[in-house]
Amino acid sequence: MATNEQTAIIELKHIDKHFGSLHVLKDINLTVHKGEVVVIIGPSGSGKSTLCRTINRLETIDSGEIVIDGDILPQEGKKLARLRSEVGMVFQSFNLFAHKTILDNVTIGPREVLGTPKKKAEEEAMALLKRVGVENQAKKVPAQLSGGQQQRVAIARSLAMHPKVMLFDEPTSALDPEMIGEVLDVMTELAREGMTMVIVTHEMNFARRVADRIIFMDEGRILEENEPEAFFSAPGTQRAKDFLNTLKERDR
Amino acid sequence: MTIQELLAQFGDKYLQALITTYQLTFISFFLATILGVIITVMRVSPIRPLQIAADFYVQIFRNIPGAALLILLVYALPYLNIVLPYFTAVLIATTLIPSSFCSEYLMSGMNTIGAGQIEAARSLGMTFMQMIRHVVMPQAIRSSVLPMTNLLVATMLTTALASQVPLNPTDLTGIVSYINTHAVGGITAFLISAVLYCGTAVIIGQIGNQIDRKVRILR
Repeated sequence: MATNEQTAIIELKHIDKHFGSLHVLKDINLTVHKGEVVVIIGPSGSGKSTLCRTINRLETIDSGEIVIDGDILPQEGKKLARLRSEVGMVFQSFNLFAHKTILDNVTIGPREVLGTPKKKAEEEAMALLKRVGVENQAKKVPAQLSGGQQQRVAIARSLAMHPKVMLFDEPTSALDPEMIGEVLDVMTELAREGMTMVIVTHEMNFARRVADRIIFMDEGRILEENEPEAFFSAPGTQRAKDFLNTLKERDR
Repeated sequence: MTIQELLAQFGDKYLQALITTYQLTFISFFLATILGVIITVMRVSPIRPLQIAADFYVQIFRNIPGAALLILLVYALPYLNIVLPYFTAVLIATTLIPSSFCSEYLMSGMNTIGAGQIEAARSLGMTFMQMIRHVVMPQAIRSSVLPMTNLLVATMLTTALASQVPLNPTDLTGIVSYINTHAVGGITAFLISAVLYCGTAVIIGQIGNQIDRKVRILR
């Protein structure tokens, strides 16, 4: 990782955003380097999901600048679509295309956006489905799969675009407990292979294990940024201490 | 006259009338669907003037009575030096009105698609048109089979407007007036047309149900 540390893939500079009168992101500055796994944690309503979604402009921002691999993210249009295709996104609710087979869900991006020929796209898709362990489901439609399987397909669908970075917006929050592990395993594997990842999650053990850096957010601000061991053993702010204590209470 | 007498004397006329009604119905429905899709894409497009124009279109043709529209096409357009053949005038009226309903059904079909799927399509880098073609429209159409089936029946019933203009051969409603000016068909002449309308509607309904069962999206 040390060799890549200088290449910034995502740069957020002075991001501000309001939802009506609510100030949801306050002067956010964050740089994510190539190969880095950044985990964003914080209480609900802290702005962590919103932050994740602004990175590929699913949420607009009021002011500030978002730079993806050296290109400033534009407001709208074809250039935005192109930049988005370089940023993979995995959602809490999977969001697979309900009318398409699993295989078509994974091939549609490469075929339509990248212009990959059908045969090549399908070969790549099958390899990805195998990698996430759902190759036997390729001919089914999303509703026939379990939540964990759907989320793994969603990861494969994003990977099929050969993204420079993957965003995960609470990828296990909608899953039954017994399915969380299978999705986290796929993500751990991805991290190990050197994928650049930004992950919003409540899975603290996973965060501790996989993250290179933990971002702690509260009330629209980044309060702490630290390596996982340092953060979890000695959080620097009272808010972070309270938050971690609440989680401990819950797990007890 | 009895049904037997009517069919013996006017059977071939009824057949021709049925064919005219079918022509008007299926051509109109086909064109209305294409127009409806285009109007709907305009309504959801990010371009404001297109949205406004398309919303206006729907408001106009959803709310204008068919007879009024036909009168405009037949009697008002000649003032602009546009003289349409009667068949064309009827066809336009029975296309424009259903197209606005088609758009309404597609809009509600779109509402069955979660915002999440749209966000997923955008995240993959799809353009607006790619998203419409591959994600939005296929699902909207597949969710609208039943209302579209009803629209096909409604379109058929709307083609009875054709009886208001001199068409040759005339349609299923026009044939009744024709018979009653040439013979005393009475209510029985209506009955035969009514049975043909109803029979067709039942068949359309059955086919629609089967298509719906086949293409319905599992959720």
